[in-house]
Amino acid sequence: MHVFETRGEQPELKQLVVEASQALARLDAARLQELALSCQALNRDLNRDPNRDLTSDTDTRGSLAQQAREAAGEMAVFARVLDATRNNLHLINRLREVRAGRLEYSEPQARGWLPRESGHGDN
Amino acid sequence: MGTINSAFSLISGALEADQSALSIVANNVANANTPGYTQERPNWQENQPLEINGVSYGQGVTETGATSLRDSVLVTRLDQQQQLASASSARLTALDSLQALFPPDSGSASAKAGDIGSDITTFFSSFASLEANPSDASLREEVLSSATTLAGDISNAAASLNDQSAGLGQEAAGVTSQVNSLTTAIAQLNQQIQTTSPSADGGTLEDQRNQDISQLSQLVGINQIKTENNGLSITTTSGQLLVSEGTSFQLSSGLVNGATHFFLGNSDITSQLATGGGQLGGYLTAATQDIPSAMATLDQLAYSISTSVNALNNAGTDLNGATGSAASPLYVFNEPLQVAGSAQAMAVIMTNPDQIAAAGAGLGPGDNSNALAMANLANQAIAGGATPTDYYSNFVSTLGATVSGVQAENMAQNASVSQLQTQNNALSSVNLNDEAAAMSTLQTSYQAASQVFNILNTIMTSALNLGVQTTVS
Repeated sequence: MHVFETRGEQPELKQLVVEASQALARLDAARLQELALSCQALNRDLNRDPNRDLTSDTDTRGSLAQQAREAAGEMAVFARVLDATRNNLHLINRLREVRAGRLEYSEPQARGWLPRESGHGDN
Repeated sequence: MGTINSAFSLISGALEADQSALSIVANNVANANTPGYTQERPNWQENQPLEINGVSYGQGVTETGATSLRDSVLVTRLDQQQQLASASSARLTALDSLQALFPPDSGSASAKAGDIGSDITTFFSSFASLEANPSDASLREEVLSSATTLAGDISNAAASLNDQSAGLGQEAAGVTSQVNSLTTAIAQLNQQIQTTSPSADGGTLEDQRNQDISQLSQLVGINQIKTENNGLSITTTSGQLLVSEGTSFQLSSGLVNGATHFFLGNSDITSQLATGGGQLGGYLTAATQDIPSAMATLDQLAYSISTSVNALNNAGTDLNGATGSAASPLYVFNEPLQVAGSAQAMAVIMTNPDQIAAAGAGLGPGDNSNALAMANLANQAIAGGATPTDYYSNFVSTLGATVSGVQAENMAQNASVSQLQTQNNALSSVNLNDEAAAMSTLQTSYQAASQVFNILNTIMTSALNLGVQTTVS
């Protein structure tokens, strides 16, 4: 498991976004969950670090803004991958529903199969 | 005895059924690495119970064949995504080559040879230098030299665009033979499937057909229509018939006005194929949309610069006191008659630097007013409503944005294909629980990714807001 260092050196936003897109593309759920935790930690750090007053630290402010601008393209890619995944998930969910419905209700009737009473029930 | 016989019959039937099922499993294992093979599951049919003295005795089950574990909706979705991904991959390859012709660092210190943006700046700067000393021979040489470089780079870029367009046409034409062999194979498979499995899954024949359709999807945008008796018809996305059950229709290509066009029968379907997807769609989008758009921009740039500079030079007075006339115009560049074709034809026709009309009309050779006017063209909206430099920069930026957009599209489509393949593989896996596990992974990945996206979006929005300088009263 490799988690981004969030307490010391901050990861580049661009790197995070690229990593997230790639992990989603290969459905690496474990890595995405790690990234979610890293992002949460990063967000907490940015908002709560008492040693870093972002509103007055011009360098950090400029650096973060720069990183955000640089990562904008990768965020657009991530959004597209997320959108494609949502469509796929929706499709798979619908297919499962349809298959489950067919198995539970339609298929035996369609085959003309009806359960028969049996003397032993061992067949 | 009857009961014992029945028991033996039941046992031997069960063994036979198990043996058949084992054969199917063995076949699955043997074909685990066969491309396109779909896992098969044995079908069991309950035997009629035996009734003796009013009591029903079970007769077990019989194995009645195998069903391939496939989901046609999922497979179709996969094919559709593949054709989109192939189209954007092919277009991206073409756009990368196109972008290489137009370096984005125009005008910068690191500008390379062939950088048209830098050439434009240098060319108009040479007039600005001449304006300081209009009789200087070396400065006059410099004007012609920079004009030659500019004209040469624009003309070479236009020639390269034409070469790329021709190359894409050839690649696209090569795809048609692959399309034709696949549609022929699919039509033959249709016949076999309709004959052998008119009302059931076609098994390995259907695997082969699906694999061929998958390959076809990567080449050209298609729609599939199920027909009677397990048959299939395939059309292009715009509805032209490629396969009708056992019959296939061949694509052909040919040159029309120097460009490769595609035909189905006698119908020219080039524009429909360009929007349809697959490799062919990607190539054609680049050849009929991206390259012509770049060429139109270059033509406009060449036309604007040539006609504007020629008009001013022709109206001025050269070093020998001559002024241009209809009979013997003082043109720097060959004068284009129309916008189309101006880029490739752009060339410097002036050979004597003394003919540069730095002086205004009716003024002596020491005057610099016309050189100043020509230098000022750099700041006038002479090219499509913008200055020549801005016009070219906008083009390079737009091209960059197009490449970036297609890259994003391609990444998302490839990701989608990969995800759907995972789900499709899970559907035909040995363990039915794998399908549920794959579905769960998809769900979990999506949820985690949504979380990552939302947090990153918040962080980035905050960061961008932090970067904005605000006044606090």
